[in-house]
Amino acid sequence: MLADLVRDHRVVVCVGSGGVGKTTTAATIALWGALEGRRAVVLTIDPARRLANSLGIAELGDEPRQVDAVLLATTGRPVRGSLAAMMLDQKNAWDRLVARHAPSDDVRERILRNRFYLNLSQNFAGSHEYMAIEQLCLLCESDAYDLIVLDTPPTKRALDFFEAPERIRDFLDRKIVRWFLMPYLSQGWAAAKAMNRTVGFLFRKLEEATGVSALAEVSDFFSAMSGMFDAFTDRTDVIHDILRASTTAFVLVTGPEEQVLTEAEFFSGRMRSMRMPLGGVVFNRVHEELSADAGTFPGGTVARLDEEVVRAALADAGVAGPHVAWLASNFVDYQLLARGEAIRMEQFRAGLSRRVPFVTVPNFDTDVHDLASLTRMHAHLFGATAPSDGAPSRSARRRGRARD
Amino acid sequence: MPYRRADMLGALAGRRVIFVVGKGGVGKSTVATALAVAFAEQDKRVLLAQMESSRRLAEFLDLPTGDAGMVEALPNLCVLTVDGESALSEYLGLVLPVRRVQRMVVESKLYHHFVAAAPGLKELMTVGKIWYEEQLVVQGRRKWDVIVVDAPATGHVLQYLRMPGAAAEAFGPGLVRREAQKVMELLADPGRTAVCPVTTAEEMPVNETAEMYQQLHERLRVPLGVLFVNRVHTAPLGPADVPAAPAGASPLVADVLRCAREEAGWAAINRRYLDRLRAAVPMPTVRLPFLFAEEFGLAEVRALMASASRQLAPGPGQEFA
Repeated sequence: MLADLVRDHRVVVCVGSGGVGKTTTAATIALWGALEGRRAVVLTIDPARRLANSLGIAELGDEPRQVDAVLLATTGRPVRGSLAAMMLDQKNAWDRLVARHAPSDDVRERILRNRFYLNLSQNFAGSHEYMAIEQLCLLCESDAYDLIVLDTPPTKRALDFFEAPERIRDFLDRKIVRWFLMPYLSQGWAAAKAMNRTVGFLFRKLEEATGVSALAEVSDFFSAMSGMFDAFTDRTDVIHDILRASTTAFVLVTGPEEQVLTEAEFFSGRMRSMRMPLGGVVFNRVHEELSADAGTFPGGTVARLDEEVVRAALADAGVAGPHVAWLASNFVDYQLLARGEAIRMEQFRAGLSRRVPFVTVPNFDTDVHDLASLTRMHAHLFGATAPSDGAPSRSARRRGRARD
Repeated sequence: MPYRRADMLGALAGRRVIFVVGKGGVGKSTVATALAVAFAEQDKRVLLAQMESSRRLAEFLDLPTGDAGMVEALPNLCVLTVDGESALSEYLGLVLPVRRVQRMVVESKLYHHFVAAAPGLKELMTVGKIWYEEQLVVQGRRKWDVIVVDAPATGHVLQYLRMPGAAAEAFGPGLVRREAQKVMELLADPGRTAVCPVTTAEEMPVNETAEMYQQLHERLRVPLGVLFVNRVHTAPLGPADVPAAPAGASPLVADVLRCAREEAGWAAINRRYLDRLRAAVPMPTVRLPFLFAEEFGLAEVRALMASASRQLAPGPGQEFA
């Protein structure tokens, strides 16, 4: 279970590929922290509208907002701490970063209007990720929160996320950027050529090939930014430290599907080599293995032919009607899928340290989109801390024992 | 009246470039592969272009992972991984004929900074590469009958489709602007291009698809094809109609009923969101069933297409063009 992991860390970063339930998991963890008495904040990216609504952050920008205590009380549990939530607005975050570091109003305005800045702040690979981490830094530096849960952007390769600070720093590296800073650049390549043959030549070729007459603008961007490079480099170091601090834990959220797990495996390996090992794993939307005790089915585990066994059991129990065949085939389909998932999850776990806790969250047949249903996930993530609905399923208990 | 496979492919007939777009994790690569395979099996010469290397695609088609460039996956079906930067250097090769000069430009750090910062240059070059393949003629006939594009996740793809317009604005008259205009013509041509969104019938993907539809239809005005709704659960009865386990029933019976309730629950959720999609995204819609498959490979991809053809039905008041 993840209870100790969350209790022992100030920063919990939820990672994983797109569409696996990262946002929901991040919100659930923060909510649990709040119910446990912590001042929790969840930084979320692009939440489902209903989830945002249920947290009361529908119209919010990028400042943390407290979730209403009345809303928190709808979880049916005593509220001992507090929960704040914020959404990342990438463009806005960049603009504020520039505003914070720009040496003068004039420079700030020049940067904000520059087309290359507009492109960089929205499109540069890693720019979104960088801002998420930048926000994380700000939250860490403030004393307002003692549990910070970060929902990472839905990058296909979630690794971009952690490489983003370095990438931005390299991009803004002085040695390279100074080429763009040469004052003659704004006068065009001819002047550049006079100063430095190679650079001038390169610029001329680029201009010819692309028709970009905007080199002056590139130059202007970099010269306006030049006063800020040290700030970026310092920031990268702070970020590096936060991500590797003993108070930071990474929780991988993944589905049990083959494809998703392959990606997760690759990801987990890379995290380890970057000295940011996983602290916990959430298998989300898992199909539960039911009636899997040896003896229920002739072969020990369910097989296609066992539809017969199921139909017989239904008949014995007096369940009849036009849908019996579907009941049986649905069960067998479901259990075969569950078996495959269980095997894949075991294989995945074999590659992790035995100390890494893992939990499975079943494939709820309702959307998880309000505080009450977030609370419903708590039993699966943190053990029997939720008041009702808390009894773990038999298969979950069995897996729990196997782990301990 | 049920539509047969030929009808769905017919709905996209004549469209030479099909962009498959959608939120991460909804099955874009699966649908793109399924379409490409279906076209290839109709004896069309098909190019399946992916904008970022996808493990999924490589697994379906048994390709070596991480390889850029063109790979023949099946008879009639080639896979191409397009990335903006290599497309741009390829393009520079055309306009800077002296190889030594070209190498010098491309290998300079300055160039990489320029490419990273220039608004949309990489995106333009990516879509430009697809345009280039579209109009390629080999021995008097077009090289490709159909190009299926496995596009990146939503936010990204909008950027790609928006790009040529932005580039035409941002760049002065010159080669880039000319390229951008050619690409814009392709993207706007309903006779050649179709954008096909993929979604699942759940809260987040449906919201995102509705927003994307607005963008695609009203702002970008790109020609739309078919909406694919993936992983649709069906059940012959509602979750409340699944009987409770009779007193004294075995645990097996209770579990069977529980599975039925869950499946019926998902079917009900999917139905609700399909209704919402019908209102928010008025496009011809194809439902692809949730497959209880332990492993997902080419066989399952084919099964999806076959099943799509069987249960294909247009939404109310909609017909395939």
